[in-house]
Amino acid sequence: MRLLHAVWTDMRFQWKHGFYLVYVLVTIIYLIILSFLPNDILSVGLPLVVFSDPSVLGLFFVGGIIMLEKMQGVLSVLVVSPLRTIEYILSKVVSLAFVSVLAAFAITGFSSYGSVSWLLLFLSTVLTSGIFTLCGIMITAGCNTVNQYIIKTVPYMLLFVLPCFSLTGFPYSDLFTVIPSVAALRLMLGAYMGIPLYEAISLVIYLTGMNYLFMRWAIRVFENKIIYQN
Amino acid sequence: MIQVKNLNFTYTKTKKKAIHDMNFDIHKGEVFGFLGPSGAGKTTTQRLIIGLLRNYTGQIEVLGKERNQWGKDFYEQVGVAFDFPNLYNKLTATENLKLIGAYYHKKINNPDKLLDRVGLLPDKNVRVESFSKGMKMRLNFIRSIMHQPDLMFFDEPTSGLDPTNAHIIKDIILDQKKTGKTVFLTTHNMTVAEQLCDRVAFIEDGRIVVTGSPKELMIEHGKRRIKIEYQLDGKLLETEFDINQLAENKAFFDILKTADVKTIHSCEATLEDIFIKLTGRNLL
Repeated sequence: MRLLHAVWTDMRFQWKHGFYLVYVLVTIIYLIILSFLPNDILSVGLPLVVFSDPSVLGLFFVGGIIMLEKMQGVLSVLVVSPLRTIEYILSKVVSLAFVSVLAAFAITGFSSYGSVSWLLLFLSTVLTSGIFTLCGIMITAGCNTVNQYIIKTVPYMLLFVLPCFSLTGFPYSDLFTVIPSVAALRLMLGAYMGIPLYEAISLVIYLTGMNYLFMRWAIRVFENKIIYQN
Repeated sequence: MIQVKNLNFTYTKTKKKAIHDMNFDIHKGEVFGFLGPSGAGKTTTQRLIIGLLRNYTGQIEVLGKERNQWGKDFYEQVGVAFDFPNLYNKLTATENLKLIGAYYHKKINNPDKLLDRVGLLPDKNVRVESFSKGMKMRLNFIRSIMHQPDLMFFDEPTSGLDPTNAHIIKDIILDQKKTGKTVFLTTHNMTVAEQLCDRVAFIEDGRIVVTGSPKELMIEHGKRRIKIEYQLDGKLLETEFDINQLAENKAFFDILKTADVKTIHSCEATLEDIFIKLTGRNLL
């Protein structure tokens, strides 16, 4: 019940601060760009655009949300309320995954793309969003300014986004799948281009496990750097 | 309600020892004030009891259990108001109360009644971002008591408030005390401490210098004299008399009979005088 309420509070917070408006605008811009792409480029461009939404945008959005909460002092109230750290973090993950899924479905639905596995699209978006939201929480926990956050995000982006290019035919690309972002992109590409069932299940299990580990890690970082500041 | 024994605390990063072998008790239904200048250790002690700092040595027993044994359920029974506004700026006053209130098991007191008490009812549907600091502090304050906690922590509860609103907040604290609630407040405002606290502790450099009721401390450290200010032959004069021999003091009665008395004051010490006397330091 507390968790549901926390999710609702986060959604209202994001709505009131215009995050959803930004999402709508970005989605419209994506759709306009995609509408100009020829079909052969669209088949790669669409999954990449949809992937960038929960990952790159998600990473910056969660940073922005937590920085706003810090600046307004709301975090100091939440830590002295019965809301558990895990509930606070899960509410961020769920609320941002929700808008990511809406955006992913809207972009895909309005694009003239062939058949899509909506279930895999849903799972890959949620799992990607979770990984990046949790990373964002860990980065923001140690930042006091937006500039600090942007600078600290760069290494994470390099670590998570650069290896994704290994899927463009890089030798030993399978090895890179151990990096959660690569696994997530593989799953998302599978939603559009097809993927063997065993591979899809393996990726979902692996990404769920990584989300769990990142969650434990994020709770630890959040408690050390936000709650117990000494 | 709270028992602190041999409490020591050092900040990990700065290695600064902030609390030195501190001992005090706070009883149920008591308003206890922690007084001292900035950096004395008031907020650190409060944060240790609230549970926002770990790795202390010694004992902090609060609500019947050692502090580090408590989980998040602790906050169901505790209300905290910090000395700075911390509200959802884009939400209204009512929304702020309802959103945070929903995290508690206890039913939230009628929000309108609380808003009315601190003069915010006409602004209940106004976004907090347009509130003055005083309005935000009042909203902050009622949010900390809306779930009817048994134990409350207030850090400079009247900070940023005009005298009228400061009076309202002080009245609410006294009302809470009447219903058996316990209040731990930190302040460097001696008037607030004198008006609200059953007992106060002076703290300096992380150590408690003295503990006692404000009245007792003021009498103990004051002079047993009275000061009389009067007008005689067009001149404003002032004389002090010993309280002990006042009944037989002819000069005192002569003044009362012949002069135009302006003021009469007893010479007990102020809390600020006592603090300076005991520590050699100012409170600000």
